Amino acid sequence: MELFLQTLLNGLLMAGVYALVATGLALSLGVVGIVNFAHGEFLMVGAYLSYLLYAARGVDPLLALGLAFLAAFLVGALTYWGLIRPVLKAPELNQMLLTFGLSILLQNLALLLFGADTRVVAPPYQAATLALGPFFLGAVPLGAFLLSLALLLLLQAFLTRTPLGLAMRAVAQNRLAPGLLGIEAERVYLLAFGLAAALAGVAGVMLSVMLYASPTVGFVFTLKSFAIVALAGLGNLRGVMPAALVLALAEALVSTYVPGGGGLVEAVFFLVLFLALVGRAWRWG
Amino acid sequence: MKGVVLFLLVFVLLPFLPLGVWRAYLLDAGVFLLLYTASALSWDLVARTGQLSLAHGAFFGLGAYGVGLLEPHVGTLPALLSGSLLAGLSALLLGSVTLRLHGLYFAIASLAFSEVLRTLALKLPFTGGPIGLPVPPAFGGAPLAPYYLAFAVLAVAVGLSLWAEHSPFRLAQAACRQSEPVARVLGVRVVRVKLLSLLLGSLVAGLAGGVYAMKALFINPYEAFSLGRAVEALVIPIFGGLYTTLGPLLGGVVLVGLEQVLRLWIQEGYLVVYGAILILAILFLPRGLMGLWRRRRG
Repeated sequence: MELFLQTLLNGLLMAGVYALVATGLALSLGVVGIVNFAHGEFLMVGAYLSYLLYAARGVDPLLALGLAFLAAFLVGALTYWGLIRPVLKAPELNQMLLTFGLSILLQNLALLLFGADTRVVAPPYQAATLALGPFFLGAVPLGAFLLSLALLLLLQAFLTRTPLGLAMRAVAQNRLAPGLLGIEAERVYLLAFGLAAALAGVAGVMLSVMLYASPTVGFVFTLKSFAIVALAGLGNLRGVMPAALVLALAEALVSTYVPGGGGLVEAVFFLVLFLALVGRAWRWG
Repeated sequence: MKGVVLFLLVFVLLPFLPLGVWRAYLLDAGVFLLLYTASALSWDLVARTGQLSLAHGAFFGLGAYGVGLLEPHVGTLPALLSGSLLAGLSALLLGSVTLRLHGLYFAIASLAFSEVLRTLALKLPFTGGPIGLPVPPAFGGAPLAPYYLAFAVLAVAVGLSLWAEHSPFRLAQAACRQSEPVARVLGVRVVRVKLLSLLLGSLVAGLAGGVYAMKALFINPYEAFSLGRAVEALVIPIFGGLYTTLGPLLGGVVLVGLEQVLRLWIQEGYLVVYGAILILAILFLPRGLMGLWRRRRG
């Protein structure tokens, strides 16, 4: 029983980061209407930034969080400006190919620059744990979970309380009407895409401590985020947290209870995705 | 059409040309060129229905593992066919769930599918795990066997592509690509057309993977199911010219040739070039080399 609860607890803590990354993906999908295969690479940028800052200057990852947010926002905004904007009206196939190309480019650029080795940022508190009765909580996963939750709540407030956030939701709902109301769709797209990248960048810093930075770390998260977003319903931001919870708990359960499950954890997201798609195909015939 | 025939002719005759010291190298590189070009054509066959397949690496890998596991027991040709059928079956399974949905679901699911197959190839008890699997050479090691097998695979791919290009099937595919609702109204069975295209594409990719295994003599999950294979299969047609037969052939010669050079120069990470070509082609050359050629002509 204790093992079971501990497993659930681990899954719950992981769900925060998953939701953070997947929310970014849902934003670019819902608001800009772009299937961004390079979303995870923004995460990778954040992870390597955190690693470089820590390795070169000893900058604490907590400080790197803010820098990564800004840097990833900038990378995202530039990507939108230079690459996404020209293909906004192109066929969906071209858009997907473009972001896929970007993903391949960035992954292999990282491979050329840093090699295939995994890099871990190990601040003094990396292995700290808190005991909660019979259970153990890693300080870093707990911090990452709380921070993710806080960021998602802030985003929610931004989307429901501020004029810019309302504009973003308006553009997501209807392509034409917001223009008539004087909302500049292009600016909103830029902001949404940058924001999506920034969320992934912050998640990247957390993962550089919890997991590692590597050329393919982002790619795995792109796939997992797609599974989450497919489960939540495309562009549905409210569904992301529960869907992330489903994925994270399923992974935690598999890694604890399936013999030799350590390697198979990497296949759980596919099961989730597959079931979500089967469900969708049934409902829509 | 003339270009396609010329292309095939050059490759049939390549072993008989007086190539001197280059002969062994060219024939060796030629096998891979033929195989990668065949899988690129098979990707294009799927793309003609507007579907982005990122699973061609997986079909390739399934063909390779099918051959690796079966060839010692049943011989060369039956193993090749079974490997290809294995890829086809998996494509039917993947397609029947995802092709009814909006196109992006298929792209995502196909990408995830290929990642999971690699995980399975690493974990299943009979695949040799991360170490891999030795594969006996084709027909007991006849010298030109891999070359002509590879050529046969390309010929099958070209045949299918020409058939699809010059029959009413082309119109059905184009209708699916341009607007599904309109295609439905016109009486095109959209899901069937997409599924058939995917099935044909996966069968060819499976064949290519099988011959690859017999040529490489050794396969492991990282090589056989590499994402690089899928990237290659889609960059070649885009660079050469989408929705044509000649485009992927041209693209294949240029890019696989380039890759041979780059691999000597940068070992890991040569895919960076493919990523860049993909982006640049989408932005500036949406109709590929074929588009350039047509523009100059008219």
